[in-house]
Amino acid sequence: MVDDIQYLRNIGISAHIDAGKTTLTERILYYTKRILAVHEVKGKDGVGAKMDSMDLEKERGITISSAATYCEWNRHKINIIDTPGHVDFTIEVERALRVLDSSILVLCAVGGVQSQSITVDRQMNRYKVPRVAFINKCDRAGADPYRVVGQLRERLNHNAVLMQIPIGLEGDFSGVIDLVSMKAIYFEGPFGEDLKEGDIPSHLLDEATLKREELLDAASMFSDALMEAILDGSVREELIHKAVRKGTISRQLTPVFIGSAYKNIGVQPVLDAVTNYLPSPPEVENSALDMDQEEKEVLLSSNPDDPLVSLAFKLEVTPYGQLTYLRIYQGSIAKGDDLINTRTRKKIKVGRLIRMHADEMEDIPRAGAGDIVALFGVDCFSGDTFADGRLNYTMTSIFVPEPVISLTVLPKDNKSNTNMAKALNRFIREDPTFQSQVDRESGQTIISGMGELHLEIYVERMKREFGAEVDTGIPQVAYREAISRRAEFNYIHKKQTGGAGQYGRVAGYMEPSGGSNYEFINQVKGGVIPTEFISAVDKGFQSCLKKGRLIGFPVIRVRIAVNDGQHHQVDSSERAFVQAAIGAFKQAYLKAKPVILEPIMRVSVECPSEFQGNVMASINQRRGLIMSSAEDGVFTTIEADVPLAEMFGYATTLRSLTQGKAEFTMEFSRYAKVPESIEEELKLTYKERARRGAA
Amino acid sequence: MKDFFKVSPLKILEGSTYQELGKGNLGVLMAWAGLGKTSCLINIAFDKLFREEKLVHISLKDVPEKVTSYYNVIFSDLVKVLNIEDEHEVRALIDKNRIILAYLKESFDLTRLRGNLNNLVKEIDFTPDTLIVDGLDFAETGRELFEGLRRIAQEFQVEVWLSALTHRHITEVNERGIPFPCNNLDDLFSLIIQLSSSPSGVLLELLKDHDRKGISDAAIRLDPNNFLAVE
Repeated sequence: MVDDIQYLRNIGISAHIDAGKTTLTERILYYTKRILAVHEVKGKDGVGAKMDSMDLEKERGITISSAATYCEWNRHKINIIDTPGHVDFTIEVERALRVLDSSILVLCAVGGVQSQSITVDRQMNRYKVPRVAFINKCDRAGADPYRVVGQLRERLNHNAVLMQIPIGLEGDFSGVIDLVSMKAIYFEGPFGEDLKEGDIPSHLLDEATLKREELLDAASMFSDALMEAILDGSVREELIHKAVRKGTISRQLTPVFIGSAYKNIGVQPVLDAVTNYLPSPPEVENSALDMDQEEKEVLLSSNPDDPLVSLAFKLEVTPYGQLTYLRIYQGSIAKGDDLINTRTRKKIKVGRLIRMHADEMEDIPRAGAGDIVALFGVDCFSGDTFADGRLNYTMTSIFVPEPVISLTVLPKDNKSNTNMAKALNRFIREDPTFQSQVDRESGQTIISGMGELHLEIYVERMKREFGAEVDTGIPQVAYREAISRRAEFNYIHKKQTGGAGQYGRVAGYMEPSGGSNYEFINQVKGGVIPTEFISAVDKGFQSCLKKGRLIGFPVIRVRIAVNDGQHHQVDSSERAFVQAAIGAFKQAYLKAKPVILEPIMRVSVECPSEFQGNVMASINQRRGLIMSSAEDGVFTTIEADVPLAEMFGYATTLRSLTQGKAEFTMEFSRYAKVPESIEEELKLTYKERARRGAA
Repeated sequence: MKDFFKVSPLKILEGSTYQELGKGNLGVLMAWAGLGKTSCLINIAFDKLFREEKLVHISLKDVPEKVTSYYNVIFSDLVKVLNIEDEHEVRALIDKNRIILAYLKESFDLTRLRGNLNNLVKEIDFTPDTLIVDGLDFAETGRELFEGLRRIAQEFQVEVWLSALTHRHITEVNERGIPFPCNNLDDLFSLIIQLSSSPSGVLLELLKDHDRKGISDAAIRLDPNNFLAVE
């Protein structure tokens, strides 16, 4: 257990893919003595960086799962979650941000603020995460940290302030000048572990003085004492640290550090910044919902002696069983304790309490508020809340985007079939954006997720981790159906010939709901439908929403009101009213002029400006709507809304259009009506499939 | 959207020579800092969008996300004030007919703008009717850029509305009554309108009306909360 919560930091490391966050983490673990040697992400030594514990991650050089790890620096305990950089794994990033108190935003000194950085930054804003920025790769050709600071200000709207300036750049990058102490820092030794302080090189003195003034100007906004000290000419380092800390925690200031993790330059000052400027758990406001008070929002205390509230934010399968990562918000957990899952009300016993270090683990007897730990053998879903029984709280649910793409998976043999079932069972528990279902008509298994790469990775994992060989179909878009106008129904379900009779009449209307996916309104008066059958009516309508009558996709955004009906003393039953509702739905649905909706993605393409025209044309050809184009130096970022159905294979198109110099990200934006020509095509395909199924 | 046209800031042009700026021409909205230049300019943009014209908003200071949020906030106000019922359809119309071009960190020049407009016309068949240019520093910009903008207006057959910042401490006014920073450029602009504050609210005055000489006191009062004309 962390002795003093003030000395605890829960941080994430988030960035654009290839900005070097895994390398940065590896160096942090080395300097904090959690590992004895450093390896690279795409390790020539065949070992790979510590945080990329899955084989697949090592092979592709990208981080897929957020492996948690723990280290210590300057008497502080630091929990680090390494988050994936590819937008298809956004739920991993979102989960990490939900449980973390702050983050290091890693940016590439050459690439700068790229489209993925914008997405990640948007997510950080959603969870109000304070951050420090680290401009990495200053040793690379074309490195320009000043340009990146400008982009942080202009493109991400950060009040970014340099805490250091570089000594040399690109091949000459040899150290940094600390603008707080006004000293040059060099990183010596085989892995930069020996910090040598020196005087500022004379040719950089003017620049350092100017940048320090900018720092003091920015920091003094958060401290009257510093402002006075500036006027008096008596600025002390401690005053600057305090002011920068205040600005950072309030998310009104982003201190910026520079370096090259790969060349072992500038990492230790970032660790100092984590302890100096980022918040401890009590400095961050966390809330839960009190289930006993109609989900009233309540603030959590960060007190280890208060009743326990903790969140299972990640599940991972290991060779020893399921590992559940928990963030403790208040209270504490000890080995042998009984915990209650507030969703299922099931009790579990804490067998082993683990502190994770990438894929290695350390048993601990007890953990308290603010800590991130792992438990073995807990049956739960990601997002479940665990308490000790004294409080009936649930943590605010994690924002879970709807899956937008699906794929049929067909096991190649019986063994693969069994293994695939095991794998899918595991994946849906681990990742709420990944879903699996069996199509009742075709009997095929369909997996759904957030993008092509998201599903591709799970198919690979089925093969590698579970030995399930599968064939996959063509990706399918998750269409939806919705009604476009109000329609009335008045339906009698009557079956009174022979045996027990069935009778129920349901009358009312359906109309577009606007926001919510389904609303049921009971306006029945005078008991014409007895209260005990109302839920059956609701159930009957809900069963119809699973499969619309246009193309067989779920129906959303519908409000159904029942205002009249009739029952029979003997022949009315729950079953009869379920059937009556189904009949009523069928009666009104087509009258309500249903339409087909398709997922629209917000696509952001970044390319050298000379390709703007080509990129715009390629989006236009995909039924995309260009929203904006921003010129920044030699780069252009184009934002557009494009139907997901048109985005398959876009990565390849974009590569060939721009000589591989552009990149794009996309995230779900909304559902929108498909054009009529496509609606007709979809209806025809559905009819054809239904005909073949029936034949 | 008839209700909007009754309160649009462009009502100021009702008594003007052509009742509009006209394609190929430049128009300027002048105001002190903080008086609501951007809001008023966006209302002018809505006037065009609600007429189902195509519009390019050119921002020289803000990222597209910020410009979009200005439009969203002002549109939300319009929905309330004008009681717009088909909000979603109108939003879709705005998205369809508006493109934001942002030029960050001094990326703006006429060659680039011309290239970008050509791309819009040729590659995605988006032929704008109006350009809104916000954030151009008139005091620091040479005459040749405005001449170039006028050539672009004529070449693409668009009307171009710009915003210009006036300063309380610079009181220079030319003999035609046009204040700094447009006092040496007014021959390039077909319309000049100015926002000013008065005890009764915000006033929008017409300072130049094409070639017409001796403009009488053409002014309308705007509601300082939404920059719509007060009837």
